[in-house]
Amino acid sequence: MEADRLLIRVAGGDHMAFEELYALVSGPVFGLVKRVVRDPAQSEEVAQEVLLELWRSAARFDPGRGSALSWILTLAHRRAVDRVRSARAAGEREQREALRAGTPAFDHVAEEVEAGLEREWVRRCLDRLTALQRESVTLAYYDGYTYREVAERLSLPLGTVKTRMRDGLTRLRECLGGVA
Amino acid sequence: MSLLDRLRGRADLHSLAAPYALDALEGNERARFEKHLAGCERCAADVRALSEDAVRLAWSTAAPAPAALRDRVLTAVRTTPQEPARARENRLPPHVWGTQPPPARSRAPRPRPLFVPFATATAAAALVVAALFAVQANRSEQQLAAERDRAREIAHVLAAPDARAATGRDAEGRTIGVIASASEGRAVVTLNGYDDLPGDRVHQLWLMRPQAQPLSLGLLDDDTPFVANGLDRAATSLAVTVEPDGGSAQPTTQPVVQLALESVGFGE
Repeated sequence: MEADRLLIRVAGGDHMAFEELYALVSGPVFGLVKRVVRDPAQSEEVAQEVLLELWRSAARFDPGRGSALSWILTLAHRRAVDRVRSARAAGEREQREALRAGTPAFDHVAEEVEAGLEREWVRRCLDRLTALQRESVTLAYYDGYTYREVAERLSLPLGTVKTRMRDGLTRLRECLGGVA
Repeated sequence: MSLLDRLRGRADLHSLAAPYALDALEGNERARFEKHLAGCERCAADVRALSEDAVRLAWSTAAPAPAALRDRVLTAVRTTPQEPARARENRLPPHVWGTQPPPARSRAPRPRPLFVPFATATAAAALVVAALFAVQANRSEQQLAAERDRAREIAHVLAAPDARAATGRDAEGRTIGVIASASEGRAVVTLNGYDDLPGDRVHQLWLMRPQAQPLSLGLLDDDTPFVANGLDRAATSLAVTVEPDGGSAQPTTQPVVQLALESVGFGE
């Protein structure tokens, strides 16, 4: 894979390789971060942090253990989730007030991402999950909720949520598997 | 703890693999699970597979990054040192790396942008911003808010039409960087390499003016860009001295580094 080759060169301090890697992954990184964090300015901050971290820590990538793109997106997701959680913790009071006032605390505004083939494909596969599998997976991955919060929101026992998450991911694998 | 309890605890831990792959564990649980992962090859493989599945969910989210982000990142990268290749003795799967505090923030000495003479304020701006973001981990919300405020102040200086950058270097290669706007009377000041002070000593920043006593601008933290306000146009230079904790009313030692402000539009 292109990203793997580039990331290895980046680890050796190759600036040209980093520019190429940037061109390749900045869209996926920024888009994912923005999907989770939502606020554009904060998304940009987190994306910048992640992209710089790729440069600093490229040597930590071990090609024997997965693809570079997965590694990069896993990192981006983790940083985005951490950011959105600390923002939520800070804004908890405002949220409670917003709830009392009857306005939704988080609006699930559809993202204006260009509809690409991949997007359609993921949506199609998500549609094939059961409602609880889908909700469990997407509340966690796209909205950054912990499985405890997911359980609370869906009024499900913790064990059920954990199982739905695993089943959901496994079914996604079967559905999306061929496209990589 | 009985064997049964231990087995039960383990099964319980293992059921966290999917939430972990989705980043849906709280901090403490995450740490506990990672500890478990480090000693459980089978779990690590399971988590690896589940994480690959979770990443597929990211395929649909790609969106073009703002052009300004590219400039900032590529500029910052030019002056950001890399972490050396590390021994891979730790057995955590690669995605777990993302969960640990970023290396730059804790284990390795924090890489600092190396101040070099800048052609433009934009390049310097990217560095300051990069330095700012690099220290944000593990801060309280209050500290983050303070940093955001400072980031805004810094952005304000950088956005001034007459913002210019200069760097001073002492005999030992340590540097002071400044981005200043004479029209705003403000400057962003960064020290590099001066972090070896004993606990009861601080770096104090002074504004030197003709026919006047040095004016204290405040205390400097080696890691943090400092925003100095109220610089008058007649100012000739900035100076840094080592002072007792809390700072002094007037310098009590010779400056460790000094930077002329003429090149950034002062000294009329």
